[in-house]
Amino acid sequence: MESGRYRRISDCPMAFYAATKPAIKVLTRIIRPWMLSTMNEVSSTTNTSGQEAPAIDSQESIGASSVSYETISVVSAIGNGALTRVESLLEAIVDAVIAGNEISIPYRSASLSRPGAMPAAEALSQPHGARRSVRWAADVRFPGRTIQEAKRFEALLCILELSRQALVSGSLITKRNIYYQNPDLFGSQAAVDLMVDNLALTLGVGRGDLNIVATAKGLISGPMMLINRDGSAIDCGLSHNTGMLLPSINEVRSIGFHAVQWVLVIEKEATFRTLAAAQYAKSSQAGHGVLITAKGYPDLATRKFLSVLQSMRPKVAIFGLVDFDPDGISILRTYQNGSRRLEHENEATVHSLRWLGVRSCDLLSSEEIPGFQDEEDQESQPAAGQAFSQFHEDSGGEPLTKRPRLSTTQNPSETVSLLSLRDRRKAGNILRAIWSVEEPPKDEKEHAEELQRMLMLNIKAEIQAVDNYGDLSTWLDDKLCVGMGADQ
Amino acid sequence: MAMAAPVMRMASSASFLPRLLPPTVFSTTRARVLVRQLSLPLFPNLNIAIPVGISLGLPSLPEVLEGIWEGILKAVPKKKTSHMKKRHRQMAGKALKDVTALCVCPACGGMKRMHYVCPTCASTHPADIFSLAPAPSAIITASGSSSLRVYDTTQPTYPLAQTISNAHKLGCHHLATARGPQTGNVFASVGFGGDVKIWRLNPDSKEYELQWELPTVGDSGKGDVWAIALSADENFLACTTSDGRIHVWDLTAKEKIQTYETAGGRGAAGGGGSFAMAVDLSRDGRLTTSGHENGAVYVFNNDAGRMVYSLSGLAKPVRAVAFSPGCKKLAAAGNAGIIALYDMEHGEHVGNLSAPGNRPSWITSLDWNDTGDYLLSGQLDGKVKVWDVGRGACVATHSETDSALWCVRWLPPTERALGPGMGKGERFCAAGASRSLSFYREATGI
Repeated sequence: MESGRYRRISDCPMAFYAATKPAIKVLTRIIRPWMLSTMNEVSSTTNTSGQEAPAIDSQESIGASSVSYETISVVSAIGNGALTRVESLLEAIVDAVIAGNEISIPYRSASLSRPGAMPAAEALSQPHGARRSVRWAADVRFPGRTIQEAKRFEALLCILELSRQALVSGSLITKRNIYYQNPDLFGSQAAVDLMVDNLALTLGVGRGDLNIVATAKGLISGPMMLINRDGSAIDCGLSHNTGMLLPSINEVRSIGFHAVQWVLVIEKEATFRTLAAAQYAKSSQAGHGVLITAKGYPDLATRKFLSVLQSMRPKVAIFGLVDFDPDGISILRTYQNGSRRLEHENEATVHSLRWLGVRSCDLLSSEEIPGFQDEEDQESQPAAGQAFSQFHEDSGGEPLTKRPRLSTTQNPSETVSLLSLRDRRKAGNILRAIWSVEEPPKDEKEHAEELQRMLMLNIKAEIQAVDNYGDLSTWLDDKLCVGMGADQ
Repeated sequence: MAMAAPVMRMASSASFLPRLLPPTVFSTTRARVLVRQLSLPLFPNLNIAIPVGISLGLPSLPEVLEGIWEGILKAVPKKKTSHMKKRHRQMAGKALKDVTALCVCPACGGMKRMHYVCPTCASTHPADIFSLAPAPSAIITASGSSSLRVYDTTQPTYPLAQTISNAHKLGCHHLATARGPQTGNVFASVGFGGDVKIWRLNPDSKEYELQWELPTVGDSGKGDVWAIALSADENFLACTTSDGRIHVWDLTAKEKIQTYETAGGRGAAGGGGSFAMAVDLSRDGRLTTSGHENGAVYVFNNDAGRMVYSLSGLAKPVRAVAFSPGCKKLAAAGNAGIIALYDMEHGEHVGNLSAPGNRPSWITSLDWNDTGDYLLSGQLDGKVKVWDVGRGACVATHSETDSALWCVRWLPPTERALGPGMGKGERFCAAGASRSLSFYREATGI
């Protein structure tokens, strides 16, 4: 083995050698106990029963080889077979080393729609012109043809090893933690994220099954009780000002819904905090509920949590409150349909999430402040909330019958801003995604309609725009009551 | 809080007493009410159903009667209408009347109630109507759905003449036809995906067919086409882009012949210009104008290929620009809610048309009538206004809908009256978020 390795390296230029050197170090560090264990296996083939999991085997031998691991807990069994898959991958590497072959890790990738959106480290190795939803598979070899490939191999190996450690010890490791193991190697956090997701795709498991999680990002507030696997209970209603960090759903054993009737998913943390501080979850006219935010585009943990909520209590209505801009609708669609990169993750979509706002009609009919009305309209009360929902008669050339004068000054309030070029492009992309299927479902058509109006009006607005005073509770009460009423 | 404790103690002692104890134990009614409310959580089955209002109104009522009161309050006399009674009413002419106010739906040809939305059309018209384009004998409509529709304007019922399905998959936001005599053979449409299609009338079948699709601008995504305008000879198409340029295409040669840059006009040197939201070509083919998001209005001379006027006056986004038929005047309007008029000989701002009021609604669409006397404006609050340009005053306001209007257009003048008693007066059409077309005609006999 040794001779084979040196022969190959000696042909390479110096820079390449320098790049591969750390990888070799990692490789030897990781593989040594494995080789020992394999040798043990070979030597003691006669006395092992053969049914024992390889994890147990390795555990024993590792204990012998100065690296100490904690005892295996029951938790490692929940890995959906991830541990065995990781280990068989590592075993294959050991076998390849022993046989003196070129080492390779299978690596598949759910490529993104636009090459420009990829992190730089990955874009280099991405085949040019990769199309959306075309998955490509390529093995990462060692020593590869390029320095990048060698580095990538080392990075993958590192992730695999960390994941294995986490699985064996039953603990969770964050993606940020993986990055800090060797920031030079990974280059950027985005590279780690992509690699972890693609590794999970390759192994055919979810990211959570590898015991790798993102740092908790979601916040929850409201009268709901989460009971952890270790028996401790989290009351989400306690620290109402800031909200509780949403734990990974793997950690949660059961959920205590008290009188929760609705769940409101909010795009922005600022809005979440305002509502949480006002105890809106308890004081709402629509009954008790729970506020959740993922601070922008949702992470996997929040989506999985909502998905579990949805399947546990289908009667609890889940509403989404996002900005009136293309990103807001995109965030809503990520909750509902998942993201393209994480298509392989199971149970991470919340189809029953309903769009509470903000829509164009909320902006256009918000003109109820006295003193700002068009003087022509002062004889009639503004008909709020119905601006876009009425049909009017299709007069066949006849003079139209006089209707009662119901009109409002429909100028959007001053808080709206103009769409940027990027917004317009993003809106176009979402429209394309919606119409990429022959007959989109009804709620997706609603998204398309609102996007079209947004483009026509050329405006966007924050959630706060529905009320000039920044007090959302009245508006939310109305919307939630209507939404819950439509439910029954 | 200091009050609450003794009252609570009273409550518990009172509730331990038998129910028949006269209420004279308590001096005032007020005290009793307090007691009830506070004792609720302790002994719910004793006091829960007592309406407080009743005990306030009849303070001396013994508690024995409370159960009776409850029963009486719930009793509501009900009697089934007998068959004979019902039949008598029906025979006396008080039954439901037959609906006779029916007409034929101009859009789908089916029966519908007069002055009501046709139920089949309302369900098949799935999105806002964003644009209208009048031709001499038809009006073309574009909506958020993928198909374009052509309605015949020579008949009083405005029947649907043609549906062009799958014209723009993402929906269509702008249409353009040429204005003037001998037009209507060509129209252009822009989809939300930025795709521009040119349609030509087939003289045999009298239907529009796809003639050409403009090559989409490079993959950099720079400059998706937004607004378009067609020249009077139906040969040139002006398209605005989101980075503020105006491309002029020769439709016969199928090539781009001119690009006007507006970048740098307002300190945006080097970068892209402001989003051009509206464009128009003058009928004599000499001038091009564009209205921008930053409130600027530019006028270009097509012969010289350069900008001649940079007009200010509207500080807010300009959503509509229109040359008068005589090419002497230019009207521009937008979020400012007023219509600015410019003289095209010297590039001067000659006046504003505005309704009184401190916060006028956004103007989404403008159109001159064929003689140049009247200007039509459509607003976001659903109002259509007709302005007499000579007098500078609004002569008519129509507010049949309170949902946004996206487009208003005059129909070309007709040679003969559309129907008996309808005259040959001017007509216009308005459409928008109400998803229906409203046709108006000049009132006759006044």
